[in-house]
Amino acid sequence: MSKMDDRMSQAGSGKKTPYRLRIVALLILVACLALFPFVVTNRFYISLVNEMLIYGLLAMSLDVLLGYTGLLSFMHNAYLGIGAYVVGLFLIHISPSSLWLAILAGVAATSIIALPVGWVQVRTGGLAFALLTLAFGMMFYTIVWKWYDLTGGDDGLMGVPHPDIHLGGIVLGHSGSPTAMYLLTLSMVLICFLVTWRIMHSPFGAVLEAIRENEERASFVGINVRRYKLYGWMYACMLASVSGGLFILYRGYIGPTTMSAFAGAGVLMMVLVGGMGSLWGPIIGAGIFIFIQDYISTMTEHWELFVGMVVILLVLFMPRGFVGLGDYVTRFRKE
Amino acid sequence: MSTIAIVVDILLNSLVLGGVLLIVAIGLNIIYGLSRVMNLAHGSLYALGAYAGFTLVATGLNFFVALLIAPVLIAVVGLIIERTIIAPVRKRSIVYTLILTYGLMFFLDGLIKYFWGNEPRFIELPEFMRQTVPILGTHYPVFRLVTLVITAAAMIGLMLFLGKTKLGVILRAASTIPEMVSCLGINMTFVHVGAFALGCILAGIAGVISGPLYTIDPIMGHEMLISSFVVIVIGGLGSLRGAVLAALLIGLVQTLAEFFITDLAMVIVYMMMALILAFMPRGLLGEGRFE
Amino acid sequence: MTTILRTKGLHKHFGGVLAVNDVDAEFKANRLRSIIGPNGAGKTTFVNVITGKLPASSGTVLFEDRDITNRPPHRLVRLGICRTFQITSIFMGLTVYENVRIAAQSEMGGSFRIFSAKQSLKSVNKKTWEILDRLGLTDKAGVPSNNLAHGDQRLLEVAMALAGDPKILFLDEPTAGMSPAETEHIARLIKGLTDTVAVVLIEHDMDVVMSISDEITVLNQGSIIAEGPPREIQENELVKEAYLGHA
Repeated sequence: MSKMDDRMSQAGSGKKTPYRLRIVALLILVACLALFPFVVTNRFYISLVNEMLIYGLLAMSLDVLLGYTGLLSFMHNAYLGIGAYVVGLFLIHISPSSLWLAILAGVAATSIIALPVGWVQVRTGGLAFALLTLAFGMMFYTIVWKWYDLTGGDDGLMGVPHPDIHLGGIVLGHSGSPTAMYLLTLSMVLICFLVTWRIMHSPFGAVLEAIRENEERASFVGINVRRYKLYGWMYACMLASVSGGLFILYRGYIGPTTMSAFAGAGVLMMVLVGGMGSLWGPIIGAGIFIFIQDYISTMTEHWELFVGMVVILLVLFMPRGFVGLGDYVTRFRKE
Repeated sequence: MSTIAIVVDILLNSLVLGGVLLIVAIGLNIIYGLSRVMNLAHGSLYALGAYAGFTLVATGLNFFVALLIAPVLIAVVGLIIERTIIAPVRKRSIVYTLILTYGLMFFLDGLIKYFWGNEPRFIELPEFMRQTVPILGTHYPVFRLVTLVITAAAMIGLMLFLGKTKLGVILRAASTIPEMVSCLGINMTFVHVGAFALGCILAGIAGVISGPLYTIDPIMGHEMLISSFVVIVIGGLGSLRGAVLAALLIGLVQTLAEFFITDLAMVIVYMMMALILAFMPRGLLGEGRFE
Repeated sequence: MTTILRTKGLHKHFGGVLAVNDVDAEFKANRLRSIIGPNGAGKTTFVNVITGKLPASSGTVLFEDRDITNRPPHRLVRLGICRTFQITSIFMGLTVYENVRIAAQSEMGGSFRIFSAKQSLKSVNKKTWEILDRLGLTDKAGVPSNNLAHGDQRLLEVAMALAGDPKILFLDEPTAGMSPAETEHIARLIKGLTDTVAVVLIEHDMDVVMSISDEITVLNQGSIIAEGPPREIQENELVKEAYLGHA
């Protein structure tokens, strides 16, 4: 009975790839990623993939919000930003050597800020929610930009120290070293992915999906929609703050641009390109986006034009993103 | 300056700002009310209107002529956008239209930067409008007074259009009972295109008058967009009366805030929006309807 | 016979329109009550107020003698008040099975388990299969619900309402858009529900109403104009006038 329950719960055409195959694919991918910095020793590329992973985590957290709970946020990057600034300030002013404490502070501070914001936001429906994320995002951006004394304003937060990466008393590496930082990022992202995957496929995740599908019906089967939206929101913001902590450890610097509306559109694009609702799709989407952004960074002047056009084309022609490509391929092969 | 002069200054500036906000916000409201599309590119269309006005005046046209032509140009742009990009996505969930218009916003912003560059631009005003008029102790720019007249004229024009003309009545009906309108044999395409074009015209008008009021730069659309959201949300989505009230309120708050604490002016506005949206989701007058 | 739910002096107006006008109604356990009336009589509005979808303008709703007026819908579902809608409202992107399962999970608990697979709630699964069986949807369990035929979607919605373990069930035009065969099937099913649940039916199909109702309430322009067993209502002059006459 339980195997049937398994299959019955999955929406879709039943063409899902078998469980074992996916686990093998994941293991191979993780192995490749883990070996990467030892095979390609060029600092630049290691840092690039590091950044892909960090934004992959952010994009995944937006997928929790959008793909699973059905809530659109235009500036989810705000919570990466807040996390990063807090971690940075902690390392600068409080304790330059406590890596884990700093990350914890970042997550805690972001959660404290995200809670009232989320509480206000979930009282509204889809459209209003999205507009509010834009308003609050702009608010945080403005505050960070203007509060020179704390954040360095336009100049950004500079000179953030790089603490040692230690676990249970043993020093595993130095966060200033690209390889060590890369491996830390990879491990954290992997852990977050696995935990998130488990949660999204749990009874709790099922509630979020029900809310996404039909909010009204959800409340009429007894779900306290507001409360669960808030849970989903808080989880997504916490994940974002983790990515923020990894961001500033990797870069040692953060400026308000990372918290801008434009950067927010970028995260949304990552989720679109990768495919909503899959968790891993947006991570791939982030990889693609960062790669292209880097590649075309010489064209920074017309970058907006390009991003705008790509978003439009994506929505028009490829709304299901990378994840949806599988469907196109199978349909193609059938014909 | 005497206190009265300062107060007059602030009040008049609030009215001016509120007026511009109102025109933009109503444009947004109309598009949403009729097409169920929240046009996030509206701020960029407004900016485009300002730039169009700038270019027209720079080629020697009289300001008022530019004021008539620019909105039409924006409406044409809007027509193209509506038919090619928005129409295919409209039937899908609102998430996609939101993301689409968000992308459109960046596209238009990039377009503006591409054609006009990053530096701020200024519109040359006819001589008489650059002078000031003494009012209760303050010297108030003539142009700003003219702006008030233009705003009022636009609003009256809009009300007449919606109330008296056949097209306007159809549009109004469509906003209340869309199904009925298509049953009556009226082409919904016309309604959608008409709504978008109307919204664009309003955005264009606001853009042109903003030119001399505030600086013309590539990011002028962003703040306007958010401010007009705030107006719509506070006034209640779909409520025209609420929009008027909200626009005046926001105009006042923003002007006051800028007078006292420049840096955090917008932050205060955002917080107001958040609070009202949270506790009065149907707007100040309780007439709004969010989906 | 116990009264499950009762309304006292319930009013609902929208701006100038009085949609529900001073309605006193009583719904008893294990009985099937139909609410009928011409279009615009206020039937759905009445049910919307009771089930928490709309706030009441005035009056009270009592559930087992407790005042539940204006409580949020999810609370009412927990108490045992479930409903279906005039326009099918289900989780379109999920399978038939999952639609019912989430309703059952919500009722039986387990929504806080974040580290177990959602399929692992054994008692929830068991209940889901039971309900699917009862409604005859077992062989369609794995079908995405947006692929279902209209009639099956209506059945699914009833299944979801049942999963909430209701004491009283409000069904808003369940037979709308159904073929005669489907209508008969669901009518029999609904009648069978009265073993365990009080059922309140809003319906336009008079054959169904007359054949399965224990009592009928007739609304017109927001007020009750007649109430009684089917036979009485059939002969009632006021009712005939309301339907055929001039409003």
